[in-house]
Amino acid sequence: MKLTPFIALLAMTSAVSAAWADDTSNVTISGFGTAALTRGNSSDAEFARPNQLAGVTSSAKTGVDSNFGIQVTAKMNDWLSFTGQGLVRKNVTDNFGAELAWAFAKAKVNDNLNLRLGRVGLPVYMISDYRNVGYANTMIRPPVEMYTQVTLESLDGIDALYQTNFGDTAVTAQVTYGVTDADNRGGFTAKFKNVSSVNIVAENGPFTFRFGRVDAKVTVDNSTNLNTLVSGLNKFGFATAANAIAVNDTKASFTSVGLGVDWKNFVVQAEYGKRSSASLSIADTTSWYTMFGYRTGSFLPYFVHASATQDSPRTVAGLPTSGPLLPYTLGANGLASASPIQTSNSIGVRWDFHKSAALKLQLDRMSPDNGPGVFINAKPGFKGPVTVFAAAVDFVF
Amino acid sequence: MNKHLTQLLIAIAVMSATSVACAAELVVVVNPSNPATAMTAAQASQFFLGKSAMFTPVDLPENSPIRAEFYKKVADKDMSEVKTIWSKLVFTGKGTAPKEMHNNAEVKKAVAANPTGIGYIERSAVDSTVKVVTVLP
Repeated sequence: MKLTPFIALLAMTSAVSAAWADDTSNVTISGFGTAALTRGNSSDAEFARPNQLAGVTSSAKTGVDSNFGIQVTAKMNDWLSFTGQGLVRKNVTDNFGAELAWAFAKAKVNDNLNLRLGRVGLPVYMISDYRNVGYANTMIRPPVEMYTQVTLESLDGIDALYQTNFGDTAVTAQVTYGVTDADNRGGFTAKFKNVSSVNIVAENGPFTFRFGRVDAKVTVDNSTNLNTLVSGLNKFGFATAANAIAVNDTKASFTSVGLGVDWKNFVVQAEYGKRSSASLSIADTTSWYTMFGYRTGSFLPYFVHASATQDSPRTVAGLPTSGPLLPYTLGANGLASASPIQTSNSIGVRWDFHKSAALKLQLDRMSPDNGPGVFINAKPGFKGPVTVFAAAVDFVF
Repeated sequence: MNKHLTQLLIAIAVMSATSVACAAELVVVVNPSNPATAMTAAQASQFFLGKSAMFTPVDLPENSPIRAEFYKKVADKDMSEVKTIWSKLVFTGKGTAPKEMHNNAEVKKAVAANPTGIGYIERSAVDSTVKVVTVLP
């Protein structure tokens, strides 16, 4: 485990706090983190979060579920503020690396409307914005079946946040527009243009309802595998198949709804989402999860069921099933079937043992189907189900 | 694994703390120039839980038993639930948690100084610098 980024961030924080120790300053520094250990019970495949390059097998590691973030907000005046958030975690590479999660200028137009410009969070899911803040969540991690569908977390662009009340119902509407390049653990970059998102949240007493929709044009032009397959299929006269798997200015979208309930001792969180695209390489999928929890004192035990299925074909039509071009067929089918199909059941407990920290234990039983599911670096013959166990302390400051 | 578990348990033991409860009549107060005359507990809670930015709430310190009692009475929330709600807003850049005042007197001063200010104090501390809009028995 590389500690350098952690130390760098900590050093940065203490330097900044020393510089701004003055109590009347308008700079606020806050942070969050999760110290976790995760292990599975299979040595044939690794469990990882979406877009992590390596995961855990049957020995416990910190890398999957641990992270550390620092946020600095500078309030310039009544209407203008700057916010930056740095995040250290394992993502895309196998080292803990520091990222600029977001950095934006926020202008308060009036009591209802705020505009933000810069790198802003992209609300793909109900808990997108705070998915990395373990303390803000009940579960140890967002259900991987759903949160693997779109791994974008931020956009470079602009958003408008409108908050209003209808009687007892608080409604927040957020519109975001921008671009982003997303490195993928497959070794390529997905370039997203014209990304637009609408996120509407209505809160009434114990209930939260949420609707979200993200549209984008995606291009992947630096994947050796994809380029070889597309140019090969075109050369040998399979233009239709080549177009079916190409990712070139491809329209893609993700539509989802969410429900949150926090009524008396009962806690429910559920989401349902549909991904669709014009390329078989970005499969059409359906994913959902439901979490039930029951709060008793400072303990919150919970149960989660999650599922991801594929709606588009997992093979590319019209390709030879034998002969010298078979490798192309297999390669194209590999892309069409890369999306995980999996269900899981999880039990866990959150214990708020301290005013700013919570301990969580979670046991997942994951059943991949028709392939390795969300598991990576699977050995031939890998079969589920796999049990994953994680223990974590989440804190905020 | 065992070594790690031990470390975890030590960390928990070190960080654990207990809080003391107490009971007093609390009131929600606003600036005297505020046109609001009465608020339900649910309405008042919106400002303290980040659901409305119309008023500017001020809090008491985290270890204050009055603060714990206030959130229990106004929204039936424990301090950890309130903290969770605010951490969602803070770490998404959507809001900043209420400023913490040291005591009743500072809350009154902050509310009196800000036309959109809103705070909560013990009923016995009420004076003419602030206006009571909600009584929490």
